[in-house]
Amino acid sequence: MTKRLLFLILIPVLAAFGQGCDTAPEAEAPVTPPEVTEQTTTEATGTLQIRANGEERARDGFTSKDGWELSFDHIYVNLAQVTAYQTDPPFNPERDDPLQAEVEVTLPVTTTVDIAETDPEYETVLVGEITAPAGQYNALSWVMQPATTGPAEGYALVLLGTATQNRESIDFALQIEETLAYQCGDFVGDERKGILVAGETADLEATFHLDHLFGDSRSAPDDSLNQGALGFEPLAALAENGRVEASMADLQTQLSGDDYDILRGILAELGHAGEGHCRVTDA
Amino acid sequence: MRSYWSAIFGGLGIIGLQSVPVWGHGVVITHEVQRAIAIQARYDTGEPMAAAQVTVYAPDDPTTPWLTDTTTADGEFLFTPDLGQPGTWEVQVRQAGHGQILAIPITETAAGLEITSGEAAQGAPNPLQRGLMIGSVVWGCVGTALFFSRKPKA
Repeated sequence: MTKRLLFLILIPVLAAFGQGCDTAPEAEAPVTPPEVTEQTTTEATGTLQIRANGEERARDGFTSKDGWELSFDHIYVNLAQVTAYQTDPPFNPERDDPLQAEVEVTLPVTTTVDIAETDPEYETVLVGEITAPAGQYNALSWVMQPATTGPAEGYALVLLGTATQNRESIDFALQIEETLAYQCGDFVGDERKGILVAGETADLEATFHLDHLFGDSRSAPDDSLNQGALGFEPLAALAENGRVEASMADLQTQLSGDDYDILRGILAELGHAGEGHCRVTDA
Repeated sequence: MRSYWSAIFGGLGIIGLQSVPVWGHGVVITHEVQRAIAIQARYDTGEPMAAAQVTVYAPDDPTTPWLTDTTTADGEFLFTPDLGQPGTWEVQVRQAGHGQILAIPITETAAGLEITSGEAAQGAPNPLQRGLMIGSVVWGCVGTALFFSRKPKA
C-alpha cells in the first residue's frame, strides 16, 4: 500500500522535474509569431499615424562636440516595414525579452522622408497612416534600408549639409547604405503617444538622435553622450576642396578602424521612440 | 442689552479658542500605513538619474499625468498609488533627452490587491529562480511521499 502510494506521488513529481530540466524551457522559447488582429468593419478602429522626427537638431542645426556648426539641407531616411504594436507585457528594448504583440499594424509602403524638413504645425514628418484597432500602441519597429528610388536611392540614410568652424566651411554628403531594423518600446516624451481611441487619430514617432552621431557642444565634454559620439572632426579630415562625400564603404577605408567601429555602433543607437531607446535586430 | 453683551463675549471666546493653537505652535501628527511603490532610476552605466523628471499615469487615464515629481539625488522616487484603480500604472522617468516608461501592474486577487514588481512584470524567471521553484515543488512532493511511507508507530 505504502509503495503504491509512493509510486503514485512520484509520477507527477518526475513529470514536473522532467519539464523543469528541459533544455529549451517555455519561458526561453523563441518568439512566437505575433497574432495579427484582422480588422473588420465591426471593430472599433481609428487612424494611427506614424511620424518621423529628427528633432530641432535636424531642423535648425547644432554645434558638434568638437565645435563644428552643423546645418542640414536634407536628411533623408528610407523607412520600410513600419509596424506599431500593442504589447503585453510592455516591451522593454533594453532587456532580452521578446516583443509579444497582441495587435500589430504595418504601413503597407516603404517611404523616404526628409527629417530636416520643417513642418511648422507638427515639427515632424508624416511617414504614413493606417486604420487600426483602438488601444494603446506601446511599441514601434521599422527597418531603415536602402531606397530603390527617390533622393536617397541606393542608401538608407543620407545627410546633406554644411559644417562650419572658424572660417572653414565643409559641405558634406554622408550616404549610409547599412540596413538596420529598430525595435522600440513606448514613446517617451512630453506627452503620451500611441493611445488610439475609436474614431479618432493618434500618432507614434520614429525619432532620430543626431547628437549620438556628432555629440553636442551644449553637453559637457565628459558627458557619456559626447564620450561615445564620433563628432565631425574625423569626417572633416577627409574633406577635399571644402567637400566630403562618402558612403559607409568609403568610410570603412578612409576612417581609422576605431572611428569606423564607433560610427557603426552609433548607427544602431540612432533610432529612438521620442526619448525611449530601441534595440537593433536582424532585418 | 443682555443679548448684546453675550454676543460680544461669546465672539471673543470663539476668537480666543481659535487662536490658542497658533500661539502655542500646536502640531498634530498622525500616521497611516500605506503600500507605496519605490522606483530606482539609473543610466545603463549605473549612474543614478538624479533629479530626473517623473510622471505617473494611472490606469483610468493613461494620457493625463496623475502625478509629476522628480527623483532624489540617488535616483529614487516613492509614491503611493490609488489602490482604488487596479490596472497598469505607468511611471515615466526622463532626463537629458533620455528616458523610459515602467509599467507596474496592480491586480485584484482573492487576497486583495497585489502589486507586481517591475522586474517580474517585464521578464520571465531567471534560471536560478526557476531552479528554486522546481526544487521547492520536488522537495514538497518528496516530503509528502516520505510522510505517507513512514512506518506506523507500534
